Amino acid sequence: MSTPTVEVGTELPPYDVPSVSAEKMKTMAALLSDPTPIHWDVATLRALGMGDRPVNQGPLNMGYVMNAVTAWAGGPQSLRRLRVRFLGTVLAGQSLRVRATVTALREEDGVRLADCDVVLEVEGGDPAVSGTATVVLP
Amino acid sequence: MAFAEADLQTVVGRRFPGGSYTVSPWRAWLLADTVLAEPPSLQDDGEQPAHPLFAWMAATGAMGITWDELFAWFGATAADGPVFGEHETTLHRPLRVGATYRVTGGIESAERKVGRRTGVFDVVGYAMDLHDTDLHDTDLHDTDLHGGGAPVARCWNSIVFPRRDA
Repeated sequence: MSTPTVEVGTELPPYDVPSVSAEKMKTMAALLSDPTPIHWDVATLRALGMGDRPVNQGPLNMGYVMNAVTAWAGGPQSLRRLRVRFLGTVLAGQSLRVRATVTALREEDGVRLADCDVVLEVEGGDPAVSGTATVVLP
Repeated sequence: MAFAEADLQTVVGRRFPGGSYTVSPWRAWLLADTVLAEPPSLQDDGEQPAHPLFAWMAATGAMGITWDELFAWFGATAADGPVFGEHETTLHRPLRVGATYRVTGGIESAERKVGRRTGVFDVVGYAMDLHDTDLHDTDLHDTDLHGGGAPVARCWNSIVFPRRDA
């Protein structure tokens, strides 16, 4: 990142997930010890009338947003705060884009911080997650 | 019997049993890969930052009760359709691969609301703090987890309970 160019209104590079993977959801379910079958069992989805595409876990959707802002700010250690609302579901196979815009620049305890508005959009533009993030600038 | 608004306030302040959570290198690698981030090196013995999503992983993984038990505190079950509302992660310091965190927390707020379309629902706020124990998974003993430890991170969440019978 070229820090001198950062100013209020700066748009972060878009972060894309070309196709949400059902296989990753299975690993995430194991890591979370989450027994909810809508994330990995198509038979359950069909029985519930929810189609045949597993539903991505909310933490994964939030993780993509974290990736977007920390990739820009210099790494996973740069995230200071993330506040989000879960607005909609993300299904296997959908493409996603995280967009973020700098809303404030400030200094706290000698550390330069950037506040950003963030949104995770599902193909077509519907927001699945939106909120604000604060990252430490290098 | 319906869960009354007065019952709601009796749960505010209740603490979770809590526990501890270790960001084991294998977990750090798999989570990063799963969330499409760059996994930490398993060949590097030096200090490496963990993905910030581990704040959530640790907080929920070491809450000390199951989701069903949490729902039961509010007279609800998974079948009632509770949903996540909002989430906030605050990181006072980066999380580290290999570190063990002590998790404490509890119910912070509860409020009954009425929506024009949704009807009656309760919004419950709960939070968990992660404390650094300065331990790694290779040298962890149960007795080492009783120290205070400075807070490293905080996870705040709200969960919404529909109250169709209220």
